[in-house]
Amino acid sequence: MHHHFIDRFAMRHSPIHRLDARAKLLAVLSYTVVLISFDRYTVTDLAPLAVLPLALLWFAGVPVWFAVRRVLILSPFILMLVLMSPFYDRTPQAVAFGPWHYTVSGGWLTAADISIKFALGVMALTALMCSTRFALLLEALRRLGLPQVVVMQLGFLYRYLFVLIDEAMRVRRARDFRGAALAPVGRRLAAAGGVIGTLFIRTLDRSQRIHLAMATRGYRGEPHSLCQLRFTSTDVVFLLVVALYLAACRWGYPKWF
Amino acid sequence: MISPLLGMHMANELLSVPIAGLTLVIAVAAVAIAALRARRLATDDRLPLMGVMGAFVFAAQMINFSLPGMPGTSGHLGGGVLLAILMGPAAAIVTMTAILIVQCLLFQDGGLLALGCNIINMGVVPSLIGWWFYRLLLGPPSRAAAWRQYLAAWLACVAGVTAGAALVPVQAAVSGVLQVPLSHFLGVMIGVHLIIGLCEGGLTFAVIAYLRRVRPELMGLDPSGLPASVRRPGFGAVLVSLLVTALLLSGVISWFASSLPDGLEWSYRGHGYGTTGQAVENRSPAVAAVDRWQSKWSPLTDYTRRETPLGQAPGEGTAESASGWPQPDGWSSLAGILGTVVTLSLVYGAARVMRSTARA
Repeated sequence: MHHHFIDRFAMRHSPIHRLDARAKLLAVLSYTVVLISFDRYTVTDLAPLAVLPLALLWFAGVPVWFAVRRVLILSPFILMLVLMSPFYDRTPQAVAFGPWHYTVSGGWLTAADISIKFALGVMALTALMCSTRFALLLEALRRLGLPQVVVMQLGFLYRYLFVLIDEAMRVRRARDFRGAALAPVGRRLAAAGGVIGTLFIRTLDRSQRIHLAMATRGYRGEPHSLCQLRFTSTDVVFLLVVALYLAACRWGYPKWF
Repeated sequence: MISPLLGMHMANELLSVPIAGLTLVIAVAAVAIAALRARRLATDDRLPLMGVMGAFVFAAQMINFSLPGMPGTSGHLGGGVLLAILMGPAAAIVTMTAILIVQCLLFQDGGLLALGCNIINMGVVPSLIGWWFYRLLLGPPSRAAAWRQYLAAWLACVAGVTAGAALVPVQAAVSGVLQVPLSHFLGVMIGVHLIIGLCEGGLTFAVIAYLRRVRPELMGLDPSGLPASVRRPGFGAVLVSLLVTALLLSGVISWFASSLPDGLEWSYRGHGYGTTGQAVENRSPAVAAVDRWQSKWSPLTDYTRRETPLGQAPGEGTAESASGWPQPDGWSSLAGILGTVVTLSLVYGAARVMRSTARA
């Protein structure tokens, strides 16, 4: 497992990649607010909201199937709740689509509504992550007011995530080769505890080494980053377009037709 | 934690905007306090520690062990309570916050707006409650017997994990998005997390027992005064934890079952639409209270702009039509979807042209 797993599209170049990370973060955040502010029975009103995530993905050159796969991987928990709602909500709802009119129970509308909102929300977040390098995103979070301590923890977490996961997988493989799966429960538990305990000790030692390395490179309590953010006129235009689009989706759309 | 249930993160869609905002504010305040405390406790050389510990939690979740009696499932560590026990609640809260932000941004697990809820449910509450219970039961750590350590770890995990998980349905119910009644959702979440807490407790004890043996000074113990032999919790302690879990589970299940006739009742009433004209009703007073509260104070009741002033329930001041919902106009929804399709194809074409000129 490597950073390639999550970063495969973030290093590319496209108009979306060149936008300021703050602009993209604010756009996706306000998009999510608008998305979940919709009524649970007005499923068709959500249609125009599909434009922004798909447009971001297309302009950034990220294949849509990648975002769809993220949605599917993350769906089980929400799917469980979605499938329960038709059993509970049986309010009759009039549904009209073009010349056709139906009455369905409200639960099906809720189910469709929650799944569409979930899919669109995950796709918007995927578009953000696939068009922004994590270091730039951290810089954006810092500039937007996240405390420096938390930003540094996020940076360390990102840097050592796959280093430690690889280490854990090596230890796990070693344990499995030694037939730990065949042992009785108590032994199995003790083996897992030992492996995790070893990882914990190694992590403590590693963080000591990291601190020493930082100190030898002149760390004096203030981190320095090569990531520079520039908020240009393009970003202003982008945010204005997104704001107009979201306002149109939220307040304009049903009355325009 | 049991693998298929990994994604217990709160999603955006289960929240309303005001509740998302409120929980975010609470989470920010809690994390700020924790960060200040962790900073005060931590010397400079511990600065990278919390971040790298976050990576450790991801790695520790890779270490699975197959559960007895449930073939095909394997348990693994959730991590919050273990971190709180090993590093103190303040550092654990900061670390869990970093983990949840990374899970949200990098892995899209848990929504952007649900981040506040997730930090409260999976960071703040398990860390504080777990740490507190562990301290309470353990007594002086150097002299604690193995069975006592085991019970302390188990209770800390059960209490911490279950308390956090029980908040998920409450937040969803207060938001009023979900149609699944609070008591059922709560019953499922608590029941599942009692079992998860049992697994997590066993694993947490195993890790702590290992660390006490190998690095006693890490656990604040004097290395000389400890027995070198392997410490086991003993049959009695394990039996107690299993029995209590079973008792609690049966309590939850009977509660769940007693609230079930309600559900059947509505489905019968659902076809006649009852006397109130409302097919869905929940008899639980808690839900009714939450509903009343929400219809009074939510700025967007049922997602339409509210007609009555804040602090007044919709039925109180104005007469509302029984059907409640306006009849939708079919043509506008058709036009909306057609318009979206046309817009999307235009956007797609523009993106194609732009990318092909960029490549050339």
